[in-house]
Amino acid sequence: MINWLQDAWDSMNGWIFEMLVQPALYALGLMAWAEDAFEWIDFALFGLLQVLVVYVICRPLEAWKPVEPRTDSRSIRTDILYTCLTRLGLLPLLAFIAFSALESRLSGLLAGSGWVPPTLETLFPILRDWPLLALALYVVALDFGEYWRHRFQHRFSWWWSLHAIHHAQRQMTFWTDDRNHILDDLIGAFWFGAIALLIGVPPGQFPIVVVILRVAEAMSHANVRLSFGPVGERLLVSPRFHRLHHGELGAGRDGKNYGVLLPVWDWLFGTADFRRDLFPETGDPRLPEEMATGSWLQQQSAGFRRLGRALMRPFRRGAGRGRRAY
Amino acid sequence: MKLRSATILRPLLGALAMLLPLAGAAEGQGLVYVLNSGDANIQVLDASTRQQKSRIPVLREVHHLALTPDGSTLMVGDSGANEMLFINPATGELLKRETLSNPYHLGFSPDGRTLTITSLRRDQVDIYRWDGQALQLAKRLDLPDMPSHLAYRPDNKVVYVTLQASGTVVAISLETLEPLWTADVGPEPAGIVWHKDRLLVGIMGSDHVAVLDPDTQAVERRISVGRGAHALFPAPDGKTIYVTSRVDSRITLLDPNSLEATRTLNVPGGPDCVTFDPQGRLWVTLRWKGRIGIVDPVTGAMETQRVGRSPHGILFAVTPPQAAVTN
Repeated sequence: MINWLQDAWDSMNGWIFEMLVQPALYALGLMAWAEDAFEWIDFALFGLLQVLVVYVICRPLEAWKPVEPRTDSRSIRTDILYTCLTRLGLLPLLAFIAFSALESRLSGLLAGSGWVPPTLETLFPILRDWPLLALALYVVALDFGEYWRHRFQHRFSWWWSLHAIHHAQRQMTFWTDDRNHILDDLIGAFWFGAIALLIGVPPGQFPIVVVILRVAEAMSHANVRLSFGPVGERLLVSPRFHRLHHGELGAGRDGKNYGVLLPVWDWLFGTADFRRDLFPETGDPRLPEEMATGSWLQQQSAGFRRLGRALMRPFRRGAGRGRRAY
Repeated sequence: MKLRSATILRPLLGALAMLLPLAGAAEGQGLVYVLNSGDANIQVLDASTRQQKSRIPVLREVHHLALTPDGSTLMVGDSGANEMLFINPATGELLKRETLSNPYHLGFSPDGRTLTITSLRRDQVDIYRWDGQALQLAKRLDLPDMPSHLAYRPDNKVVYVTLQASGTVVAISLETLEPLWTADVGPEPAGIVWHKDRLLVGIMGSDHVAVLDPDTQAVERRISVGRGAHALFPAPDGKTIYVTSRVDSRITLLDPNSLEATRTLNVPGGPDCVTFDPQGRLWVTLRWKGRIGIVDPVTGAMETQRVGRSPHGILFAVTPPQAAVTN
């Protein structure tokens, strides 16, 4: 049965590649990218499966014990659009193409110097015999990176101007996970990919790590009155734990509960709030309405405008000081 | 960076699949090595039963292999992990691993004293000296865009490397270790073999094999074989040259004297590398199906069986061991 499933999956992936993708690559003169494209078909298919899995898990939970009623279907539909754009591989693909050339140049330079970059397994040879342990360590390391990226998204005003789209949602559901500004997503992909390269995440394990973190993120955004209990809340980020982050007090630089998968980082760095009886309303009333309920395009456009203003702010202040001086 | 796709279930499925018997039986003594580039392992099959004998885990992705000139050791490059694995081909025992920069494709010179390794991702070609025991890096060349397959001139003086993204073949002197010339051959050249004072080059971005005269550096002929012409494999008996085409999923048989296509075998699944068993059958990796095919070139019949994801290099290591053509 398991063998059959694996064979069926590979056959489907192979069929799509052979019948649709490879002929297109050939016609476009891109056959040198065939092997990478083949892997990305798998990634996109798995992204689709991932969306289905998340839906099957989270939707019944939301129906069973919602924190609040679903009253704003329009903004949920916008979040679904975000999910489709992100999870079916478009943005990761763009990031990969950008990284591929960069990594090739960088590693070529390194190899030219005679130094061969280490991996976690070469630094700790015992991990060769424990691939699942190695995978777990990669997940922990990348989750740590995500914690700090999230903190910086709130810390720096220019970054917050983009990340605010994510926090503007007043009707938070598991679809909200992917509601991000496209530039924020690209920065995130760069951040995540750079750390993955730095610590030597195996290419074959990279999507697994992505999937683990993504499923955790989707679950943490679910509109469900669910806490993992006094111990579980300290082991894994729960919908309650993350909902506190999306409450009014979560906005800007004074937020709490930044963790994606493991709350231990919030615990260590003093940003954890473990109150288990709190399920606040979400959204940030200080943000413009179009960021909360606008279309995908309106939200993206608002993000760019706010980014422009945030970047110009120091110059305006400087000019103001100059006038006062004279 | 090569971003590989996999599922969270895949390692578990793969492990469980190891426990399941493989159907079919065939004649032939030896072991078959299949490099599952998408599953990070080398699968060792008993050639006579086709059942899995063992599975050698690797760190990242294995693509190509080469037997040492005396046939005693099988070298497998794990490109993403910067490692070379040394395996006893007769038993499947992993002898050692050595740190080595991004080994993608590799091949020994006819005199067995030089090992050339291409690094597809890093745009580098490394030339090593081999004394029968150890590798010594003699030269690292930075070359434009995606050095892929390689072939030697029989006098051991030149190695030729296809440069996929620049549509060229570069000739590198093994005496001065410097490039001699570069010739345009066609879009995305891949496999290359030396044949009767000519170089035969599979043009993956097109549908033909280019016949390159190394003296004039001119393509003097194009032999149509099928879209996505990839790699070439001369049969051990010298009577046929087999050419894989990945887009049209076929293997074309060329007459070695006239270089005319004599026959076409349909091989669905993206045929890539080929090895030969003592009966003259072709063992082919089917990249896009996670399978290998065993093809009878006489009847054209093909049996397939499941291996791992994206199988690439393959070797039928006969018993007792002997030096063999590798891919």
